[in-house]
Amino acid sequence: MRYSLPSPGADGRLIKITEEDFSLDEMVRAAKRNDAGAVVTFLGTVRDDGIVEMELEAYREAAQTMLEHIQEEAESRFNLKSVQIIHRIGLLSVGDNIVAIVCAAGHRDEAFQGCRYIIEELKSKVPIWKKEIGKDEERWV
Amino acid sequence: MLVKVMAFASFREILGRERELELKAGSTVGDLLDVLASTNRRFKEAAFEEPGQLREWVLLMINKKRIDPFQDLGAELHEGDEIAILPPVAGG
Repeated sequence: MRYSLPSPGADGRLIKITEEDFSLDEMVRAAKRNDAGAVVTFLGTVRDDGIVEMELEAYREAAQTMLEHIQEEAESRFNLKSVQIIHRIGLLSVGDNIVAIVCAAGHRDEAFQGCRYIIEELKSKVPIWKKEIGKDEERWV
Repeated sequence: MLVKVMAFASFREILGRERELELKAGSTVGDLLDVLASTNRRFKEAAFEEPGQLREWVLLMINKKRIDPFQDLGAELHEGDEIAILPPVAGG
Protein backbone atom coordinates (compact mmCIF):
# COMPACT_ATOMS: atom_id res chain seq x y z
CA MET A 1 0.00 0.00 0.00
CA ARG A 2 1.27 3.47 -0.82
CA TYR A 3 1.12 6.16 1.79
CA SER A 4 1.20 9.82 1.18
CA LEU A 5 2.44 11.56 4.25
CA PRO A 6 2.99 15.29 4.27
CA SER A 7 6.31 16.20 5.82
CA PRO A 8 6.21 17.81 9.22
CA GLY A 9 7.77 21.24 9.57
CA ALA A 10 11.18 21.79 11.08
CA ASP A 11 9.43 22.08 14.46
CA GLY A 12 8.12 18.53 14.06
CA ARG A 13 4.51 19.68 13.87
CA LEU A 14 2.02 17.99 11.61
CA ILE A 15 -1.75 18.24 11.80
CA LYS A 16 -3.79 16.70 9.05
CA ILE A 17 -7.37 15.71 8.36
CA THR A 18 -7.25 13.50 5.31
CA GLU A 19 -9.01 10.87 3.20
CA GLU A 20 -5.73 9.02 2.79
CA ASP A 21 -4.13 6.35 4.94
CA PHE A 22 -0.93 7.06 6.84
CA SER A 23 2.09 5.19 8.11
CA LEU A 24 2.68 5.29 11.84
CA ASP A 25 6.29 4.23 11.23
CA GLU A 26 6.84 7.29 9.06
CA MET A 27 5.32 9.50 11.73
CA VAL A 28 7.55 8.05 14.44
CA ARG A 29 10.61 8.50 12.23
CA ALA A 30 9.69 12.16 11.70
CA ALA A 31 8.98 12.69 15.40
CA LYS A 32 12.44 11.72 16.64
CA ARG A 33 14.59 14.51 18.02
CA ASN A 34 18.04 14.58 19.54
CA ASP A 35 16.56 16.23 22.63
CA ALA A 36 13.69 13.72 22.90
CA GLY A 37 14.17 10.49 24.85
CA ALA A 38 10.58 9.29 24.50
CA VAL A 39 8.10 8.93 21.65
CA VAL A 40 4.57 7.85 22.56
CA THR A 41 2.02 6.93 19.90
CA PHE A 42 -1.71 6.42 19.91
CA LEU A 43 -3.36 4.63 17.00
CA GLY A 44 -7.15 4.43 16.78
CA THR A 45 -8.60 1.80 14.43
CA VAL A 46 -12.04 0.71 13.27
CA ARG A 47 -13.39 -1.92 15.69
CA ASP A 48 -15.64 -4.73 14.50
CA ASP A 49 -18.90 -4.02 16.30
CA GLY A 50 -20.79 -6.00 13.72
CA ILE A 51 -20.39 -3.23 11.17
CA VAL A 52 -19.66 -3.41 7.47
CA GLU A 53 -18.09 0.03 7.15
CA MET A 54 -17.60 3.23 9.05
CA GLU A 55 -18.08 6.70 7.60
CA LEU A 56 -16.15 9.59 9.09
CA GLU A 57 -17.03 13.20 8.53
CA ALA A 58 -15.43 16.44 9.74
CA TYR A 59 -16.16 20.14 9.79
CA ARG A 60 -12.74 20.32 8.31
CA GLU A 61 -11.65 23.94 8.77
CA ALA A 62 -12.99 24.15 12.32
CA ALA A 63 -11.48 20.76 13.22
CA GLN A 64 -8.08 21.79 11.86
CA THR A 65 -8.07 25.02 13.90
CA MET A 66 -9.20 23.20 17.02
CA LEU A 67 -6.51 20.53 16.65
CA GLU A 68 -3.90 23.28 16.31
CA HIS A 69 -5.07 24.80 19.60
CA ILE A 70 -5.01 21.40 21.31
CA GLN A 71 -1.51 20.78 19.98
CA GLU A 72 -0.24 24.14 21.23
CA GLU A 73 -1.80 23.58 24.63
CA ALA A 74 -0.30 20.08 24.85
CA GLU A 75 3.15 21.33 23.83
CA SER A 76 3.20 23.98 26.50
CA ARG A 77 1.61 21.87 29.28
CA PHE A 78 3.78 18.80 28.80
CA ASN A 79 6.90 20.30 27.28
CA LEU A 80 6.58 18.23 24.10
CA LYS A 81 9.33 18.44 21.50
CA SER A 82 7.15 17.40 18.57
CA VAL A 83 3.50 16.58 17.99
CA GLN A 84 1.83 14.97 15.00
CA ILE A 85 -1.87 14.34 14.63
CA ILE A 86 -3.51 12.71 11.62
CA HIS A 87 -7.25 11.97 11.50
CA ARG A 88 -8.87 10.22 8.58
CA ILE A 89 -12.28 10.92 7.13
CA GLY A 90 -14.30 9.08 4.49
CA LEU A 91 -15.37 5.46 4.26
CA LEU A 92 -13.30 3.01 6.34
CA SER A 93 -13.40 -0.75 6.91
CA VAL A 94 -12.81 -2.83 10.03
CA GLY A 95 -9.15 -2.66 11.02
CA ASP A 96 -8.45 0.54 9.10
CA ASN A 97 -6.53 3.36 10.75
CA ILE A 98 -8.70 6.23 12.01
CA VAL A 99 -6.39 8.48 13.99
CA ALA A 100 -2.74 8.64 14.97
CA ILE A 101 -1.10 10.85 17.56
CA VAL A 102 2.67 10.90 17.99
CA CYS A 103 4.27 12.87 20.81
CA ALA A 104 8.00 13.22 21.45
CA ALA A 105 9.29 14.58 24.74
CA GLY A 106 12.43 14.62 26.83
CA HIS A 107 11.06 11.91 29.14
CA ARG A 108 8.29 9.29 29.03
CA ASP A 109 5.95 10.86 31.58
CA GLU A 110 5.56 14.00 29.49
CA ALA A 111 5.13 12.04 26.27
CA PHE A 112 2.48 9.70 27.78
CA GLN A 113 0.57 12.56 29.39
CA GLY A 114 0.72 14.71 26.27
CA CYS A 115 -0.55 11.91 24.04
CA ARG A 116 -3.37 11.08 26.45
CA TYR A 117 -4.34 14.73 26.74
CA ILE A 118 -4.52 15.15 22.96
CA ILE A 119 -6.71 12.09 22.27
CA GLU A 120 -9.12 12.96 25.10
CA GLU A 121 -9.43 16.58 23.93
CA LEU A 122 -9.86 15.43 20.34
CA LYS A 123 -12.64 12.99 21.24
CA SER A 124 -14.55 15.47 23.36
CA LYS A 125 -14.17 18.70 21.36
CA VAL A 126 -13.12 18.36 17.74
CA PRO A 127 -16.00 18.42 15.20
CA ILE A 128 -15.61 14.95 13.69
CA TRP A 129 -18.36 12.33 13.51
CA LYS A 130 -18.61 8.59 12.89
CA LYS A 131 -21.43 6.64 11.32
CA GLU A 132 -21.55 2.89 11.75
CA ILE A 133 -22.85 1.22 8.62
CA GLY A 134 -24.23 -2.27 9.23
CA LYS A 135 -25.82 -4.76 6.85
CA ASP A 136 -29.31 -3.50 7.59
CA GLU A 137 -28.95 -0.21 9.39
CA GLU A 138 -26.80 2.88 9.80
CA ARG A 139 -26.34 5.02 12.88
CA TRP A 140 -24.31 8.02 13.95
CA VAL A 141 -22.42 7.27 17.13
CA MET B 1 -28.60 39.83 4.61
CA LEU B 2 -27.12 36.60 3.39
CA VAL B 3 -25.65 34.03 5.79
CA LYS B 4 -24.16 30.61 5.19
CA VAL B 5 -25.65 27.63 7.04
CA MET B 6 -23.58 24.47 7.33
CA ALA B 7 -24.78 21.18 8.79
CA PHE B 8 -22.85 18.04 9.64
CA ALA B 9 -23.46 14.34 10.22
CA SER B 10 -27.11 13.67 11.16
CA PHE B 11 -28.01 17.32 10.57
CA ARG B 12 -26.35 17.26 7.14
CA GLU B 13 -28.61 14.38 6.17
CA ILE B 14 -31.61 16.55 7.00
CA LEU B 15 -30.53 20.02 5.89
CA GLY B 16 -27.85 19.39 3.30
CA ARG B 17 -24.19 20.27 3.76
CA GLU B 18 -24.32 23.95 2.98
CA ARG B 19 -26.81 26.59 1.93
CA GLU B 20 -27.16 30.32 1.81
CA LEU B 21 -30.09 31.88 3.56
CA GLU B 22 -31.54 35.36 3.22
CA LEU B 23 -32.51 36.78 6.61
CA LYS B 24 -33.91 40.11 7.72
CA ALA B 25 -31.32 42.57 8.98
CA GLY B 26 -30.93 42.23 12.74
CA SER B 27 -31.88 38.53 12.76
CA THR B 28 -30.45 36.43 15.56
CA VAL B 29 -29.19 32.85 15.78
CA GLY B 30 -32.56 31.93 17.30
CA ASP B 31 -34.38 33.52 14.34
CA LEU B 32 -32.27 31.49 11.93
CA LEU B 33 -33.10 28.23 13.75
CA ASP B 34 -36.79 29.16 13.72
CA VAL B 35 -36.68 29.73 9.96
CA LEU B 36 -35.05 26.33 9.44
CA ALA B 37 -37.52 24.61 11.80
CA SER B 38 -40.54 26.22 10.13
CA THR B 39 -39.46 25.06 6.70
CA ASN B 40 -38.14 21.61 7.61
CA ARG B 41 -40.15 19.35 9.89
CA ARG B 42 -37.42 16.74 10.23
CA PHE B 43 -35.01 19.42 11.43
CA LYS B 44 -37.57 20.72 13.88
CA GLU B 45 -38.07 17.26 15.35
CA ALA B 46 -34.35 16.47 15.44
CA ALA B 47 -33.14 19.75 16.94
CA PHE B 48 -35.95 20.92 19.21
CA GLU B 49 -37.26 19.42 22.43
CA GLU B 50 -40.32 21.61 22.07
CA PRO B 51 -40.96 24.87 20.19
CA GLY B 52 -38.22 27.35 21.06
CA GLN B 53 -36.25 24.86 23.15
CA LEU B 54 -33.25 23.28 21.51
CA ARG B 55 -32.22 19.80 22.53
CA GLU B 56 -29.35 20.07 25.01
CA TRP B 57 -26.89 18.17 22.83
CA VAL B 58 -27.18 20.43 19.78
CA LEU B 59 -23.93 22.30 19.11
CA LEU B 60 -23.67 25.61 17.25
CA MET B 61 -20.72 27.47 15.81
CA ILE B 62 -20.56 30.95 14.33
CA ASN B 63 -17.59 31.56 12.07
CA LYS B 64 -16.03 28.33 13.41
CA LYS B 65 -16.30 29.38 17.08
CA ARG B 66 -18.53 27.50 19.50
CA ILE B 67 -21.40 29.45 21.00
CA ASP B 68 -23.58 28.50 23.93
CA PRO B 69 -26.93 27.41 22.47
CA PHE B 70 -28.69 28.43 25.67
CA GLN B 71 -27.03 31.80 26.28
CA ASP B 72 -26.32 33.08 22.81
CA LEU B 73 -29.45 32.43 20.74
CA GLY B 74 -30.08 36.18 20.89
CA ALA B 75 -26.72 36.97 19.30
CA GLU B 76 -27.21 39.09 16.20
CA LEU B 77 -25.99 37.68 12.88
CA HIS B 78 -24.15 39.67 10.26
CA GLU B 79 -23.84 39.53 6.48
CA GLY B 80 -21.61 36.62 5.48
CA ASP B 81 -21.65 34.86 8.85
CA GLU B 82 -21.14 31.09 8.73
CA ILE B 83 -23.41 29.23 11.14
CA ALA B 84 -22.76 25.53 11.68
CA ILE B 85 -25.26 23.12 13.24
CA LEU B 86 -23.66 20.03 14.75
CA PRO B 87 -24.62 16.91 16.68
CA PRO B 88 -22.32 15.78 19.54
CA VAL B 89 -18.78 15.12 18.28
CA ALA B 90 -17.48 11.56 18.06
CA GLY B 91 -14.03 11.53 16.49
CA GLY B 92 -10.99 9.50 17.46
